[in-house]
Amino acid sequence: MPKPAPVYILGGAQTDFARNWTKEGKHFVGPMREVVLAALEATKIEPREVESAHVGNFAAELYAHQGHLGAFFLEIDPTFRGLPTSRHEAACASGSIAILAASAEIEAGRYDLECVVGVEQMKTVDSTTGGDYLGTAAWYERESKGIDFPFPKLFGRLGDEYDKRYGLKDEHLARISAINYANAKRNPNAQTRTWFMSESQAQRESKFNQVIGGRIKVSDCSQVTDGAAALFLASEKFAAQWAKRNGKKLEDLPRILGWGHRTAPLEFDLKVEESRENTYVLPHTREAILDAFRRAGISGVEQLQAIETHDCFTTSEYMAIDHFGITKPGESWKAVEEGLIEMGGRIPINPSGGLIGAGHPVGCTGVRQMLDCFKQVSGTAGDYQVEGAKMCAMLNIGGSGTTSCSFVVGK
Amino acid sequence: MGPPSGAVFAGAGFKVVMLARDMGKARQALEGAQNAARAEAVADRITLGTYEQDLARTVGEAGFVFESLAEDIALKKKFFEQVDRYRRDDCVVASGSSGLSIAGMAEGRSDSFRRHFLGVHLFNPPNVIVGAEVIPNPDTDPAVTRAVVKMMRERLGRKVIVTRDRPAFVGNRIGFKVLNEAAQLAGEHGVAFIDYVAGPQTGRAMPPLQTIDLVGWDVHRAIVDNVYAQVEDEAHSAFHLPDFMARGIAEGRLGDKTPKTGGFYRRPDKKTVEVLDSASGSYKPFEAPRRVEFVEKMKQFNRVGRYADSFAVFADATGPEADIARRLILGYVSYALNRVGEVAESAEDVDKIMSFGFNWAPPCAIVDLLGARKSVELFKRHGLVVPSVVEKAAANGGKLFHGGALQYGRTFVG
Repeated sequence: MPKPAPVYILGGAQTDFARNWTKEGKHFVGPMREVVLAALEATKIEPREVESAHVGNFAAELYAHQGHLGAFFLEIDPTFRGLPTSRHEAACASGSIAILAASAEIEAGRYDLECVVGVEQMKTVDSTTGGDYLGTAAWYERESKGIDFPFPKLFGRLGDEYDKRYGLKDEHLARISAINYANAKRNPNAQTRTWFMSESQAQRESKFNQVIGGRIKVSDCSQVTDGAAALFLASEKFAAQWAKRNGKKLEDLPRILGWGHRTAPLEFDLKVEESRENTYVLPHTREAILDAFRRAGISGVEQLQAIETHDCFTTSEYMAIDHFGITKPGESWKAVEEGLIEMGGRIPINPSGGLIGAGHPVGCTGVRQMLDCFKQVSGTAGDYQVEGAKMCAMLNIGGSGTTSCSFVVGK
Repeated sequence: MGPPSGAVFAGAGFKVVMLARDMGKARQALEGAQNAARAEAVADRITLGTYEQDLARTVGEAGFVFESLAEDIALKKKFFEQVDRYRRDDCVVASGSSGLSIAGMAEGRSDSFRRHFLGVHLFNPPNVIVGAEVIPNPDTDPAVTRAVVKMMRERLGRKVIVTRDRPAFVGNRIGFKVLNEAAQLAGEHGVAFIDYVAGPQTGRAMPPLQTIDLVGWDVHRAIVDNVYAQVEDEAHSAFHLPDFMARGIAEGRLGDKTPKTGGFYRRPDKKTVEVLDSASGSYKPFEAPRRVEFVEKMKQFNRVGRYADSFAVFADATGPEADIARRLILGYVSYALNRVGEVAESAEDVDKIMSFGFNWAPPCAIVDLLGARKSVELFKRHGLVVPSVVEKAAANGGKLFHGGALQYGRTFVG
């Protein structure tokens, strides 16, 4: 197959994930408008130049009683009248699916400049109701109905499966939590940047760190977040013009070097059953990562300088460590103990703070992760910059490891 | 302020010793710090002691002493006298005062103390509100000021401004001028009405009179009385505490902290809200004020992120309600930006502290939304001072606010 046309990332913006849009009396289109206008300003792109828009969102129908999110893009600027827009959904991987759709259009030569927006408003409901809504990312009738907080329980079982196959100590999960919170303190848009967390707090079960389900405590969980992020993706033709007018070189612009997208059966038990003979607990997730590496033309994780992964729970980051190939299967604890995944380590994971520290507005997360990869490789991540980052990867997961999307971003 | 401040320092990884009058109070303070941090493990980094038993040793070992006593200058001076006796030569000492004279507190202290002494005003609650003011006294070593600002930015995650040592500093000077003026207007137009027309749609997380109830009428009084007594400026009369508030305070009406006697509002039970009749001092059931078109339109525009449209409505609305709202909100912008060069170093500093200390819309953002020329016209129409920064922006056609809606959008409530 011929090599597809390159897809450039010109930049973008994200909202402050500490905001509560309900308390602000906002419809989600308000912050969505703010973030796209900020992305236009940051990239010096004129609204008239945008040719197509893709919105990633998981469940606005539930949280905000509103569907048809693609059409809301037109509310941002009158120039967008008539623009082709669409909305994409794959639970927590919705943002990545929107990126895939936009980049496929560029590769196919349909458009030269695309806007991708991820948006989710989650603080409209109490935590139990929100937990139930999130349950629709699993097979609701079989795995979520009538269960309080089904997802912490599902990802607790991911930890249990590791424990069964390879052994798992909760102290390693506590370390993962503490690292993400610590990284978030350097990210001005992170939801938890003013919160307190330490390894000792994450290890204890207490009034402020209750068990939510199975082995998952509050400190193991990502956050309930209102958030939006926007990115501009461009063809080589547009990127070359854009680079010229902004005094940049085309070869200095970050690109999506590779992508992987795999889907596993919805039900967690079936996933685990089917992977029993495999050394990887979630082989489809591993394949998505390998697909991204292969398309990027890299041999493995040793060529990366940072990773933004989907730590919806500490167990999912634990899984990502061996699935990315940082350690052998089942040995993720070694990377935790040796400090490999910390800032200053060999391969920092989630310099942004990830979903635990930065926040997890579900349908926005994939777009936020790619924006952070862009920031790292363009040297614009500010206080959470990984020195010398040239190539980063991301992993965005929908459901209990059901939809896995991975990208490699670099120059 | 002590316990949550302790939690903030401990959260930044500092080893903290919290001192109180007795161990019972110290233990309460630790519990307060744990509640503020929502983490038991904050205690891993905190040890406790009493002034009597532990002050000399603790201060002798400390690199940084943070005072968080009551706002009583005599009490603070007595404490600093002891600190001066025991501190290491390189120990930095900070007062957490929200507006008393920093130079006054340093009077009579050693040269070394004065070089290492400054104000560090954290806004309440410091575990949530990240705005902070650093106030050097005339003898503070500039290197000490720089080091404290750096530490607060990088370790404590604060949004810091350096202010001059004037009563109430920048944030409280500007904020309490607006709040007290709202209280004065409430005496004339009613509590619910003022909180409605100058409500969150005008760029604040909470309506002004509800804010005074949260802060406490006694704290409010201490701040406005201090400014009224010591400052003569274009808004001097706006700092005069309304008589009905003075009477209320005498009767123990302090706002949310006195739920039985109430404040501007009283909540006899979870379902009932009553509102103060300022003339009689009695309460009547809360009734939402009659809807005013410009207020509702502003909320609708804010809800969908169209802030310039919201302020166009605000600027052009007619009727007495709009005039009252403009007097307060444009008065805020005019007074705030006219403090540049007097107590604040820059308009950017004013924006930062009102945005991150009060959760109010940055004044420069309001000028940009209205347009600088339109702002000048409105200031003049309402008899307000035109700040020189706005005059310049009107002449140059430039933007005043550093940033965009992503930075200020949260302050405009729909």
